[in-house]
Amino acid sequence: MFALGVAYGVSALVGAQRPEWPAIVALIVGPMLRGAGVYGVHAVAIREAQAAAIDWRRRLFPGLLGGRTGRALLAGESATLAIDHVAAIEAYGARFTPARASAVIGPIVVAAITAVASWVAALIMLGTMLPFVIGMILAGSAARRASERQLAALETLSGLFVDRVRHLPLIRHFGAEERIARQVTAATREVAQRTIAVLRAAFLSGGVLEFFAALAVALIAVYCGFALLHMLPFAPPEHLTLERAFFALAMAPEFYLPMRRLAAAYHEKRLGEAASEALTQALPDAPVAEVQPARFDGLRVAGLAIDWPGTRIGPLSFALDPHDFVALTGPTGSGKTSTLAAIAGQVTDIAGAITTAGGGALDPADIAWAAQRPLLLPGTLGENIALAAPDATPDRIAAVAERVGLGPLMAARGGLALVLDHRGSGLSGGERRRVGLARALLSGRPLLICDEPTADLDADSAADIIALLAAVSRERAVLVATHDPDLIAAARIEVAL
Amino acid sequence: MSGRKLFGHELTPEIRRFIRLAALAATVAAVSSILLLAISGWFLTAAAIAGAAGSVAAYAFNYLIPSATIRLLAILRTVSRYGERLWSHEAALLAMAGLRGRLFERLAAQDSRTAPNLSGGDASARLIGDIDALEDLIVRRPTLLASLIGAATGVAIAAFAGWRAAVMLLVLLAALPVSLRALATRLTREPAREAAEALGALRARYVDYAEARAEIVAYGLAARVEQDLAAIAADLDRANARLFCGEGAIAALLAVYAGITAALVLATATASAPRVALALLASVSAIEAMAAWARTALRQARVEAGLRRLADLEALPMAPPAPAPSEAAALSLTIGGEHLAPGARIAITGRSGSGKTLLLQSLAGSRPDLFDLAIGREPIDTVSAATIRAQVALSPQDAPMIAGSIADNLRVARPGVDADAMWQALHVACLDERLHAAPDGLDTALGEAGGTLSGGERKRLSLARALLARRPWLLLDEPTEGLDAATEALLVERLGGWLRDTGTGLVLVSHRRAPLALATRSIAIGDVPRLQGRMSSMPATARKA
Repeated sequence: MFALGVAYGVSALVGAQRPEWPAIVALIVGPMLRGAGVYGVHAVAIREAQAAAIDWRRRLFPGLLGGRTGRALLAGESATLAIDHVAAIEAYGARFTPARASAVIGPIVVAAITAVASWVAALIMLGTMLPFVIGMILAGSAARRASERQLAALETLSGLFVDRVRHLPLIRHFGAEERIARQVTAATREVAQRTIAVLRAAFLSGGVLEFFAALAVALIAVYCGFALLHMLPFAPPEHLTLERAFFALAMAPEFYLPMRRLAAAYHEKRLGEAASEALTQALPDAPVAEVQPARFDGLRVAGLAIDWPGTRIGPLSFALDPHDFVALTGPTGSGKTSTLAAIAGQVTDIAGAITTAGGGALDPADIAWAAQRPLLLPGTLGENIALAAPDATPDRIAAVAERVGLGPLMAARGGLALVLDHRGSGLSGGERRRVGLARALLSGRPLLICDEPTADLDADSAADIIALLAAVSRERAVLVATHDPDLIAAARIEVAL
Repeated sequence: MSGRKLFGHELTPEIRRFIRLAALAATVAAVSSILLLAISGWFLTAAAIAGAAGSVAAYAFNYLIPSATIRLLAILRTVSRYGERLWSHEAALLAMAGLRGRLFERLAAQDSRTAPNLSGGDASARLIGDIDALEDLIVRRPTLLASLIGAATGVAIAAFAGWRAAVMLLVLLAALPVSLRALATRLTREPAREAAEALGALRARYVDYAEARAEIVAYGLAARVEQDLAAIAADLDRANARLFCGEGAIAALLAVYAGITAALVLATATASAPRVALALLASVSAIEAMAAWARTALRQARVEAGLRRLADLEALPMAPPAPAPSEAAALSLTIGGEHLAPGARIAITGRSGSGKTLLLQSLAGSRPDLFDLAIGREPIDTVSAATIRAQVALSPQDAPMIAGSIADNLRVARPGVDADAMWQALHVACLDERLHAAPDGLDTALGEAGGTLSGGERKRLSLARALLARRPWLLLDEPTEGLDAATEALLVERLGGWLRDTGTGLVLVSHRRAPLALATRSIAIGDVPRLQGRMSSMPATARKA
């Protein structure tokens, strides 16, 4: 990209000459070449950046949505990783990477081209480089490290505003508006003042860059001027014509331009690096050691404990027979779903042992999961029920659907061929729940995990589901998470979180 | 948005001073930047002519002033750029600190029943985004004027090369913002809209799948889900690539525009070579300055929707400050036609999902009434928010905690809560032993969403906070959820004693049996008439539990 700055320089050079037509052509063609270069760099950079983003997504989507993770991520956290962080990496690739490349190559190319016209001017450019680097080190490194540490602390402080805005109903309820408003005002003011203190140091490195950029122009102008006047205090080392001098002068600002672009992309660099780090942590690439799973003869949970930021569970110990019914209870947000995920082997950052009754490894293919809000993929009702058992015959699918109480829906809406979108438009919450339950039953797996199977259902539907689960528990092991007293009463034992 | 005001609020003299300083510095930077190149060019050319004319002419040539000017301009440009950046950021940061404070006061003064709901992640993220965009605009504001002055300087310098060249430059500068806007509309606006839409679609679909993660893992459906998402991601990538290439095209066309301008100025210039050199370099710089102006103006147009949202929030009515709520005389409550004298203790019963939580929220004034409730025999919808909260203290089901320490959260309850009162309340809530064991005690940091506390502990902290508020009525939503039987019994016993000692009334929702002993009678929620036509407007999440 940078070499094209030359064309512009040439045009300026020729522009100072008398024959005007070549000059005018050069003035127009030069920038055209440069423009083509700029556009080309954009096109190539975005393609490469997106290739990297696609690569990340290919690993992240299955890893975060379908693999074992350290702890259960909230849907929002997961989306931040898979979408926002990937976008930050894309911006890094599209904006910072080309800027860095041109900052490395650009100055050398500019100096080399300038040397053709005036090697002294090129030397002057390179000569300003050394004090520039020293200045950047002095103004940059130590001060910037300190300011970055402070910026991290400032981010926490500025998060206060968001937190308090989110909790406005609570604050209003206790009549604490004035006190909290004072706190917020003081905190935002402090953030502003401390940020300004940080910026004062941070902008210094920008100042150093500016200074040397200006200095390079000034020195070259003065050198060339005196050389043209034949008034240099030393013997002129080269013969300088006006064209050459003018060319060197026009090239001078280009020398530091790539570095200024690089400084402008600093924000993308910081975000992109932070994002890569977060993603690398979120995706441990070490494969889990494969253990030969044992036949399911009941479930044993011994000393299961979870200690994540915001969630603390256990230690829990309980057991399920092959035909059994256990209810896991606890308040909303206490981690019932996380506990189920731990038992199903979907998260790794846990303590304790989860095994079959005989002490063998649990086979993930033995566990069926009926979610509170089941997954729906675009397709028919029958396909969605058969997601876990693609070989099931239509008769079996229909039988299971009848069993979970989807009969009325199928009778009214065209049976198993009913077309669904991923939002399940046209299905009630209860019908959607039943699709998940049908899927779990059809899979034929011996351990059935149900997350809040009766939440938000009317009394009759809830009673139906409880009766169904009680019946299923005579042929399989059923583990439910719930805070419905009727469902708890139907279970053999209650395990409280 | 004028120079002196921000949404009708007079900016403080301090901020206005910073804006003026920044504008001055920006102007100096823009002008000295143009002059630096232009004078250098003129100096070179003039020096060459003088040098060629022989040594006499060379010695007669006044080289001291231009060469000193060049060095001076170099330093001036550096210093003024630094000043511009620093002062404009100072002005923006201070102005935004003021705006955040005022905005918060205004939002806090709203009635929870009618206020805009900002508790969701999306709403608060949008608010932050809008504020950041405004901050960015203020940072750029000083450069607007400076860019125009810079461009004008360019024209003035070009005039040295003849009036035709100057007019030519002026026309081209004037045409630039118009053509840049037309270009941006063609090349970037549509892809930007498409990219935003695709990003929204991808996020929505991804969150759906992330919520169904358990099934995706259990049944090994990751490949199918990835395929579905990859299609939307491809749309996003296409739009983003078009947007990015559009930006590249605009930058490229700007370079060409500058080149054409220089060529036309050259073609129309009539003056001597040094002056033409001066004019050429100045016109290229002027085009750059004008492009910077146009870009800032475009950016302002792009964030206008966000600015309007902020202005709407700032325009919310400001209620008079509520009187200190803790001293109010106790009023009666009416639930489902039953009249409850102060100090009464009732339990609301009904199966899960039947709306008990909604009833408590209506009673606490957190949402419009759904149940025909009354306070002091007056329908609750017509009672002022200040009166409601002087009467009731709610410990809600989700036990929200502000980011900060245990003490920060307890202090929300009432002004002037001291450590003794906190420990007493924590004792009733059976949380004192746990916190005595914690190294930081009351100063234990909670972090977002309650951090280090378990769900049950958070629940009890929320109970302690409601106790500390000392309102005539205590509203409890599942207070003992997640407790083992022994702790639950202890908590019920202590809470019973506290209610007796303070004469506080109780409205209780609990599916567990033990706390129901605290109530002297119960109301079945099925018997409470509902106001018609209100449920349908509730968001799905509010209907849960």
